[in-house]
Amino acid sequence: MGKIVFAGAMSHVLDPDYYQRACGDDGRQKVTACMAEIARMGERFTATRPDALIVVADDHLNAFSFNAVPALCVRIGRTVPRMKQDHAEAFDAVLDHMPDEYPLHEDLANQILEKGLDAGFDLAMSWEAPVDHAFLSPVNTMHGTRPIPPLVPIWVNSFVAPQPTPRRCFDFGRHIARVVAAGPWKVGIIATGGLSHFPELSLPRVGETDTVFDRKLIHWMEAGEHEPLRNLGVDELHKTGEHEFLNWMVLLGAVTPARAQVRYFGELPRINLAAVEWSLP
Amino acid sequence: MSRYAVNSLLYRLKKDQDFRARFEADARAALVGFDLTDAERAAFVARDMRKINELGGYLHLVMSVPGLAAH
Repeated sequence: MGKIVFAGAMSHVLDPDYYQRACGDDGRQKVTACMAEIARMGERFTATRPDALIVVADDHLNAFSFNAVPALCVRIGRTVPRMKQDHAEAFDAVLDHMPDEYPLHEDLANQILEKGLDAGFDLAMSWEAPVDHAFLSPVNTMHGTRPIPPLVPIWVNSFVAPQPTPRRCFDFGRHIARVVAAGPWKVGIIATGGLSHFPELSLPRVGETDTVFDRKLIHWMEAGEHEPLRNLGVDELHKTGEHEFLNWMVLLGAVTPARAQVRYFGELPRINLAAVEWSLP
Repeated sequence: MSRYAVNSLLYRLKKDQDFRARFEADARAALVGFDLTDAERAAFVARDMRKINELGGYLHLVMSVPGLAAH
């Protein structure tokens, strides 16, 4: 019988130079501290001797253009490349020195897709989409030079309205948990992004966060109170800059009613950095 | 639909290096044939990412088109 052996969520631009440019010495110091906690989370994950790692993250209009924007999409195939961007700027430059290709866990990905049809989830699938920093910054920070287990990348449409609801994302996570439980594998799951930044996706508001809202989310996750989280509205997430919390909602559905433990929370002007791990039975 | 026109153009500027070079050489000429409003066209010609964002350009694109990105 399969089991979720590790669950964690974390910010996904993990790069001291990026935060040095964006926030000065304080940015470098805080992201370095956050990355150290994520590296320790990765050591605990590796110690479980996992068969696969599900990564729930969002696309930054890199993998999917405006030809199609899937609400929920599972990456299938044998391997996935990292996104390549010429003259990469800002968060894209984070990818430049990362390995080019990563193995996928095709069987688990296919089961999430196929069993989804009976469970009420007609998921999008992709054989070609590359993964950007939202996937690879956490995965590489967790693993350092250790081998990375086969991945199951899952995209949530966090940014292009209309997005899936927090409740829908949570319910999708429950579907993932049922698929894992019915399979033979030991599986880790991470959700990436956040916490609050870029409210309303408005350029003049880059540099604002909502620490009060972040702490409310954290309180509910620590207490294992998932009902108020399921009742969040997409508008509320948009106003507070919590768009990427939709990824976290998938993870919460997968591990409910487990309680979260905060490994790192650090306030910066540009974003509140976080690393959280769940205590699993 | 403006949201589509603005964002598909931003996406192309980000991903298509040759198109970006044509745009940088002569923005108005590169935009001939694109279904943009006058305000959208003027914002692109002025490389005014703040205005493009106001007009519906997604934040992560206006922050990451090489050479044109707002930070």
